[in-house]
Amino acid sequence: MLGKLIKQEFRATARIMLPVSGAVLVLALLANLSIRGLSGNMSNVPALRMLLAFIVFAYGAAIVAAAVMAMVIMINRFYRNLLKDEGYLMFTLPVSVHELVWAKLIVSLVWFLVTGLLIALVCSATALNISHTSLAEVFREMPSWSEIRDALKELGVYNGLIGLTMQGILVILLSILALCLHFYAAMSLGHMFSKEKILLSIVFFVVISFAFSMMQTGISIAGFEAIDRLHPVLDSQNGIHDFMMLAWIFIGMKLIQSAVLYFATVLSLKRGLNLE
Amino acid sequence: MDWSFRSDQPIYSQLVQQIRLAIISGTYSPGQRLMSVRDMAAEAGVNPNTMQRALQDLEREGMVCSQRTTGRFVTEDPTVIEQAKTKYAEEQIRVFFETMRKLGYPREAILALLKEEEGKHADT
Amino acid sequence: MPILECRELSKHFGSVQALDEVSLTLEAGRVIGLLGPNGSGKTTLLKLANGLLTPTGGEILIDGLAPGKETKRIVSYLPDRPYLAEWMKVSQLLDLFEDFYDDFDRDRAIEMLLRLNIDEEMRIKEMSKGTREKAQLILVMSRKAKLYLLDEPIGGVDPATRDYILETIIRNYNPEAAVVISTHLIADVEQVLDDVVFINQGKIMLQASVDSIREEHGMSVDQYFREVFRC
Repeated sequence: MLGKLIKQEFRATARIMLPVSGAVLVLALLANLSIRGLSGNMSNVPALRMLLAFIVFAYGAAIVAAAVMAMVIMINRFYRNLLKDEGYLMFTLPVSVHELVWAKLIVSLVWFLVTGLLIALVCSATALNISHTSLAEVFREMPSWSEIRDALKELGVYNGLIGLTMQGILVILLSILALCLHFYAAMSLGHMFSKEKILLSIVFFVVISFAFSMMQTGISIAGFEAIDRLHPVLDSQNGIHDFMMLAWIFIGMKLIQSAVLYFATVLSLKRGLNLE
Repeated sequence: MDWSFRSDQPIYSQLVQQIRLAIISGTYSPGQRLMSVRDMAAEAGVNPNTMQRALQDLEREGMVCSQRTTGRFVTEDPTVIEQAKTKYAEEQIRVFFETMRKLGYPREAILALLKEEEGKHADT
Repeated sequence: MPILECRELSKHFGSVQALDEVSLTLEAGRVIGLLGPNGSGKTTLLKLANGLLTPTGGEILIDGLAPGKETKRIVSYLPDRPYLAEWMKVSQLLDLFEDFYDDFDRDRAIEMLLRLNIDEEMRIKEMSKGTREKAQLILVMSRKAKLYLLDEPIGGVDPATRDYILETIIRNYNPEAAVVISTHLIADVEQVLDDVVFINQGKIMLQASVDSIREEHGMSVDQYFREVFRC
């Protein structure tokens, strides 16, 4: 049933996210051509320069819009589909509340990743476009694997590379999950009440933020102190270890946050659902 | 066929009366196959259980008969229909006389009125 | 086993008592009218039966089970409001119902929709209010469920639509199932009911068959209801 829910969720979100992503790609192509045109001498016509500049601006706006849209969709799907009138359908399907929440989580996660990768891709393309005169030059200057390896060795992170990458992925995934669940929990808790549901959702959001930032600060201070005691003098070998340790603490923290928020969400939907 | 219901009687007994009348008056002809209970109920705008109960009553009277596989049919026995018709006519006359008596007409006056009324219809 | 059973079922919203120790048993194979004035607790009872609310006290059982994944398989519910996503096409809704409900008969739904000139490419937002209500009902009645819970299916519709809706219910419900029709418009539904349950201020006032009320009191359920609730 989770698979079917995910399918439905993609159907509902793709109709907005696919055109938005497509627009980013098309505008990226046009904007990079425009940047070329603006820097070349082919465009001395003011009107043409205006148009090219406008395309570049639209490209920047599309990137921001895509990021905002991923966020809006994540919040709006949960709100509209579960807590408003559509909830009458969703909560009477033969599925569990866990499945409903996971379907929303997984699909939001995918769109955040897709949007993030897309933005990273077009931004690096634009950066290369500005800094290089031709595609051939880009390939010529592309560092070889051995060069990258030497650079990593110099930084002292080569040996922990796999661990660091894993940590990086975990940090990204858990941060997105915790972000989604933060909104989900606040909205679910706020909608247990019969009146002022939205206002209460915002109050819960702020309260949760406050509680977690207190916890985060406390744990970070404790973490730094522990490291201070462990390695009073820093060298590159200790540095990488300490960094990884802090990263694990951060991951653990996000994991706990996500778990707490997940159960708050599921419990308030299960026991306190109060559709209008 | 048109269905209408009064509020002071159970719906199933009104269904029995209306179907019986339809058979007597030939709206449903002898041997005609009836629609399914569900379709008849939908046409009359009543609950299928109620229609079922009415048809079972009519079956007991012999006005309709059911064959397990092919459905329900109006009886082909003319005497059953004739008897029901007579009974219905008698009932109508009885009600008529009762009403007239309530209005204070003696028997002779009622008959005279009937004759007069019939004369009117003969003219037209 | 009764298809729906309430045992001293209560539901409060803050200080408001929506249902007050309701005990009720409904059997399969009947069409039951849940009748009461606005705000009497009808919608609350149906939401509890669907697991959309959690009881404050007592319990409610569907086919012997507390509302959950298993009972939702066998309950077909029509809420008292438009609840289908506006952007969805008819074909997408058919997919959704077919995906989640094993007892959904897609062909029957398509046939009924075509009779109303609703084609599969039409979106909910392109439909008039009346057409939306009919489309919702068609989806709900195209399931071969064990319990149909219909909340105000004829509230605020014109007489022709009302007749269409009642006829659709009669023609399509599964005869082994129970159908619960909640409404305050008693005269309009009375003919299609086997039994009635009168509810007022969160309490069950009466449970009886329509025929027995007409036989015993010589008046329609609607008239009797007015008598019982006369203030």
